[in-house]
Amino acid sequence: MAAAADLLQLEPTLSKKPVGQWTLVWRRLRRHKLAMIGLIVFGIIVLLSLLAPLIAPYSYEEINLRNSYAPLFSPGAEGQAPHILGTDKLGRDIFSRLLYAGRISLGVALIVTILTTILGTLVGAASGAFGGVIDTTLMRFTDIMLTLPFLPMVLVLSSSLRQYSALQDFLGSSMSVVIIIFVLLIFGWMTNARLVRGSVLSLREQDFISASRALGAGHSRIILRHLVPNSLAPIIVSATLGFGTVIISESALSFLGFGIMPPVPTWGNMLNEARNSPLQYLFTQALSPGLCIFFTVLAINFIGDGLRDALDPRLKT
Amino acid sequence: MTSYIIRRVGQSVVLLFFISILIYVVLNLVPGGPFDMLRLNNPRITQSMIDRLNALLDLDKPLLPGQYCPTVGGVEQPCTFDQGRYVRWLTNVAQGDFGNSWTMQTGTPVLEMIAQRLPYTLLMTGLALIVALIVAVPIGIYSAVKQYSATDYFVTALAFFGQSMPTFWTGLMAVAIFSVALGWFPTGGVRSVGAEGDIVEALAYVFSFGKLHPELAGQAGALILDGLHHLALPVLVLAYFNLAGWSRYTRGSMLEVLRQDYMRTARAKGLRERVVILKHGLRNALIPLITILALTIPGLIGGAIITETIFSWPGMGLMTINAIANNDWPVVQGLLIIQAFLVVFSNLAGDLLYGVVDPRIQYS
Repeated sequence: MAAAADLLQLEPTLSKKPVGQWTLVWRRLRRHKLAMIGLIVFGIIVLLSLLAPLIAPYSYEEINLRNSYAPLFSPGAEGQAPHILGTDKLGRDIFSRLLYAGRISLGVALIVTILTTILGTLVGAASGAFGGVIDTTLMRFTDIMLTLPFLPMVLVLSSSLRQYSALQDFLGSSMSVVIIIFVLLIFGWMTNARLVRGSVLSLREQDFISASRALGAGHSRIILRHLVPNSLAPIIVSATLGFGTVIISESALSFLGFGIMPPVPTWGNMLNEARNSPLQYLFTQALSPGLCIFFTVLAINFIGDGLRDALDPRLKT
Repeated sequence: MTSYIIRRVGQSVVLLFFISILIYVVLNLVPGGPFDMLRLNNPRITQSMIDRLNALLDLDKPLLPGQYCPTVGGVEQPCTFDQGRYVRWLTNVAQGDFGNSWTMQTGTPVLEMIAQRLPYTLLMTGLALIVALIVAVPIGIYSAVKQYSATDYFVTALAFFGQSMPTFWTGLMAVAIFSVALGWFPTGGVRSVGAEGDIVEALAYVFSFGKLHPELAGQAGALILDGLHHLALPVLVLAYFNLAGWSRYTRGSMLEVLRQDYMRTARAKGLRERVVILKHGLRNALIPLITILALTIPGLIGGAIITETIFSWPGMGLMTINAIANNDWPVVQGLLIIQAFLVVFSNLAGDLLYGVVDPRIQYS
């Protein structure tokens, strides 16, 4: 009797509409506590940056030389908002600058991540799908790019592009942003290319590909229904973790003075300004931009970790 | 094995050749050359002045072998064949001549400048490596043996934090807290104001038994202590950066080993747990660390650009960034090619050593 009752209870579950792959992924991700915390923190940071013009009490370039290096929680001038995080050398409100800097840092990281993912996927897929000479050439080139020391090469390329006067005439003040996107793209696609190549190569040999070919599926169906969804998981995880790496790389370049140039604020060049401020102000100047980078990257790493667990097909029940 | 080594060395040389092309091309990519910006910054500089500067540094010669048609004082000279700047540079480098510095120490051979900076970098990166290893390996083993314990979670969290905390921020905060607020350590540099020498000179004095830097007699010990005092913060910052990854790596490698049959055999023989873990487990778990160590060698010598910048430590990293900022192309090229050389050959050495330590690996 008990077995029959169980069967009866099972009935509605069985007759339910089948659950999609992404619904399953979302369900698994929701159980991952750290990933959820990461998602919430990251969401708040993105929201604050997007709404910067509404939230920021001051503009990011509003200078007040009489109130430079104000400490944390200092009151503003008569009838004006307080400087929650203090002010910088030129008396600009740090909190407002952080919000606007978030737009640039997150925006640059998003663009670079999308571009490196596309470029890496193209190179890796071409390598894995065509094989032969194309594969060897592309992979040797990838090896060479991986052997080049990352930070010095990125610094050299961005410094030589910066000195090209025609580029300066053409791009004007947005030059440093364009250069950094380009440079991080040039030196950032290799891991993804290797990943995609590996996954295409191993998928090509799988039985379910042969099976669907035997059932009469054409190239486009095999690519769209089988190859893409199956290699999507590692690509998404690596893009997520890559986003964090790009945030750090961009800040490092801006910190060293080879990235995005003031007056455009980024978390990295705010740290650069902090380093050049008198030592007694170093703590207040460096604390908040660094915490922004730290929390963003930590949140991203948590999300990436959760996604890895949620997307891994071997854990599927 | 011999044929494998020969093939790998051959491949490495070819790889280095292509890398040298890329390094040279990236620097020479900009059509205007290093003086292009001069015109924007100073309208009184004319094209002919820039041409003269370029000719002075051989920058008017073609990049690759081809025709060279100079103009002297606006008069075109007959064209001659030129072997090209890249080929000339590469043949010189192959003979150990990296050229002379343009701007940082005009006329000084690049190798001499590197030889002067190298000890400072080796001292800092070497100490950081030792500190990181001493802390990371025990932590990794402990959290593997006690998997899912509170310590294990703590180490995992520490690694996550380490990965998300960029060195330039940890460095700045370390200075703000330990140097400025607490006053425990100096904010940067190699030696205190008024010191007669620095730690590198003092060490040279000690290890040459007084032949080098004889003027430091009697104060070498104090100078070394002063140097270590300056080194403490940068070494800790750099070590923390590596520590996070390495403890995770040791943990993973140890977990892998703990599952092996020979561990069960060792326990079945009645060995004490301590012996099982340290003698049978650890020795095998450390093998994969060879790869990680091989990957750190280029960084040991190439220097830590960010840490050296924050602490004004006069090593290779600070030299790299100054050379780039000052358009000192011979220095930049020299540093980059040496770095690439180290990456390629330490990878090779790591692979070969791995085979020596772990006989299960067969090369063909």
